[in-house]
Amino acid sequence: MMQFIAYLTRKLSRDFHGEIISLPTRTILVTAFLALLLLPLFNSNTYILRILTLTCIFSIYAASWDLLGGFAGQISFGHALFFGVAAYTSALLNLRLGLPVLVTIPIGALAAVLSGLVLGLPGLRLKGPYFSLASLAFPIIMMGIVFTFPQLTGGELGISGITRLAATRVREYYLSLMMMLTLVLVMWKIVTSKTGLIFHAIREDEITVRASGINTSLYKMLAFIISGLFAGIAGGMYAHFMRVVGPSTLELIMSLQIIVFVIFGGIATIYGPVVGVFILYPLMEYLRVVPEYRMLIFGLLVVLVLRVMPEGISTFVQDLLEGECPRCKERNAFTRSACRICGTDLDSHTHLNFLKRGA
Amino acid sequence: MKSKRGVLTVFVVFAVLLSIALSGCGGKKADPGPQVSPIRIGIAGPMTFIHGEHMWKSATMAANEINAAGGVQVGSEKRPIELVSVETNEILNVPDAASAIERAISVDKVDFLLGGFRTEAVLGMQDVAADHETIFIITGSGHPQLTMRVGEDYEKYKYFFRTNPMNSSNMARATFLILHEVATVIREDLGFMQPKVAILAESAVWVDPIIAASEQQMPAMGLEIVGVWRPSANATDLSAELSAISASGAHIIFTVMSGPVGGPFARQYEELQVPAAVAGINVDSMGGKFWQTTGGLGNFVSTLNLVGRVETSPHAIDFFDRFMDIYGEIPVYTVATYDALNILVGAIERAGTTENDAVIAELEKTDVPAIGGRVVFTDEHDVTWGPGYVTGLGTQWQDGELKVFWPNGWEGIKYEGTVRYELAPWVVEFWK
Repeated sequence: MMQFIAYLTRKLSRDFHGEIISLPTRTILVTAFLALLLLPLFNSNTYILRILTLTCIFSIYAASWDLLGGFAGQISFGHALFFGVAAYTSALLNLRLGLPVLVTIPIGALAAVLSGLVLGLPGLRLKGPYFSLASLAFPIIMMGIVFTFPQLTGGELGISGITRLAATRVREYYLSLMMMLTLVLVMWKIVTSKTGLIFHAIREDEITVRASGINTSLYKMLAFIISGLFAGIAGGMYAHFMRVVGPSTLELIMSLQIIVFVIFGGIATIYGPVVGVFILYPLMEYLRVVPEYRMLIFGLLVVLVLRVMPEGISTFVQDLLEGECPRCKERNAFTRSACRICGTDLDSHTHLNFLKRGA
Repeated sequence: MKSKRGVLTVFVVFAVLLSIALSGCGGKKADPGPQVSPIRIGIAGPMTFIHGEHMWKSATMAANEINAAGGVQVGSEKRPIELVSVETNEILNVPDAASAIERAISVDKVDFLLGGFRTEAVLGMQDVAADHETIFIITGSGHPQLTMRVGEDYEKYKYFFRTNPMNSSNMARATFLILHEVATVIREDLGFMQPKVAILAESAVWVDPIIAASEQQMPAMGLEIVGVWRPSANATDLSAELSAISASGAHIIFTVMSGPVGGPFARQYEELQVPAAVAGINVDSMGGKFWQTTGGLGNFVSTLNLVGRVETSPHAIDFFDRFMDIYGEIPVYTVATYDALNILVGAIERAGTTENDAVIAELEKTDVPAIGGRVVFTDEHDVTWGPGYVTGLGTQWQDGELKVFWPNGWEGIKYEGTVRYELAPWVVEFWK
């Protein structure tokens, strides 16, 4: 037993050193996560925990958009459909049937997938900008349904009196943080799998993929379902955290603001949108100190950052701190002179990205 | 090199913008007065919209008056009031509103909250305030559910009171009473004993129950409905609807509008000289800069209102005039925040403490004259509506002034300063 523990410790230590410490961006991410994990021990201000909880929820939502828009190339302007349907379903199941949070959120996510399928089946037959424009209508249609059945959905007022996500704010925070970490890792595993490669290929050249004998419609639908499922989980969590669900969950801003988060953080990366949300959402909150200039400052910063870092802030930082080995294509810290995997000399190829950028 | 310069530019701009942000840290605050542990009161509303602006302006007037008189008598000490502006952004972004309330309570450390405008957002704000056990007086949202929650779960929601507006069910009642008043003028001046009514209601969900109620109520009131027109809430041209209404032979246009369509309606009503009197709800015409934005073409347009220059209480006209003098705008209904602050201060002084239960007990005993009428809370902490309490007002634009024409003898109530509803000259000329 002791030997096994010693082996496990050695392996974990080796992996930690080889896969995390050796890459600056991963070190930054792990440090940030540890900081978030320890935060309530040093500061349990409910406002700060509230903002970070919402940031975690929106991170899941933004990453789910990235899976569909960034990887599969299906740019959706109506992602709020999944978010809103799941939020309403979770709220209704909780309020009318008294189901607990652990049941309402998964069912809400499934309802989001189902509504996505109903609207997505005809929608996904469209391509490029036509799909994007059609997707704009998805949440609008759902909003029409919400207003058609006000006895059920609460109409303009929405549904209130929903059970909390967890009993205390600290618990809500930890739950959201762990959910965010788990779901983002799952999404990352999906996009780095064979399925993710096909999503990539569909985005780059759908005709070629189809010529290779792959049913692209099936894979596009799969991306739609997976993305909807994760967006739905975020929607359900949002409903229980806010304790009010109304038409605002289906509004255009809910669909568009996550696209800003994704592009700002780095599209087609999964972790980029998380970085984007973790920078922009708290920044918007911080700018409350100047409410008159809040949107102006926010807009200016986004435009300026994207002017210099068109591929998003996470991709920019990664390129700055890490270089790719020309032989094995593995990433290495900018400080290394030889590849950490195959030992290829990096000096003549990547040589200190940080300096190269300034040269 | 180019990229390095770019990064540098971003960081410099970022630093400059943050410096600007930090220079305004803490947001808008009223003159705090002497630095003796002030009572911090958050005014929560959409501050870039007129409703939030008027909440802040009227609260500032009340706070300045209280501080000038030495502050709030809490037991043996006088404490000044310090207002904190809480920008909820609730019209544009609902989650923003609840976060703003959380920030106000846990970062800005406000002791009490006043305000709230968009019901969906206020419901979220209520939950946050309830979690923190913070007294919250609503001064801008009229949905009955906000105070029904107090009745359903008193222990959790006892911190909520509404001084203004009267709830939307009572608003609907007042609107039909105003319509009855206008119909009476038509009967008396034009001799039509069963006036014809055209319903011009914006295309919005909240309007639907009012139309359904109108179809039930109006025949019982001796009125004949000639048609229902539903323009967009954002329509800028109503010439088609108004031409159709003219052709329908309607004597009264019953408006139900809360969106920007209210302005174009008022302009075109006069431009096209539509031969019908106006009654109903037109939020745009309730005050503010309505007369300027319509270019003086809003004459004879009327609406249900909650504030007017009449003696609804001994200080109502004085407040109205002072507000106009200071800000140069006709107050809109959220200026009732002025009274809410005074009601709260009165309760604190009577309780001799800022402790919740004592203040709530005193607030429940409130019986004071306010801008909209006498404020007494129901068991659900809602403002009481009816004769002798808050009634609502019927206001009409007459030569650039917002005049009150209702109540005009209803249940024996006629406030000092009330005038008769006036028919536009082109209406009289057309039907005589």
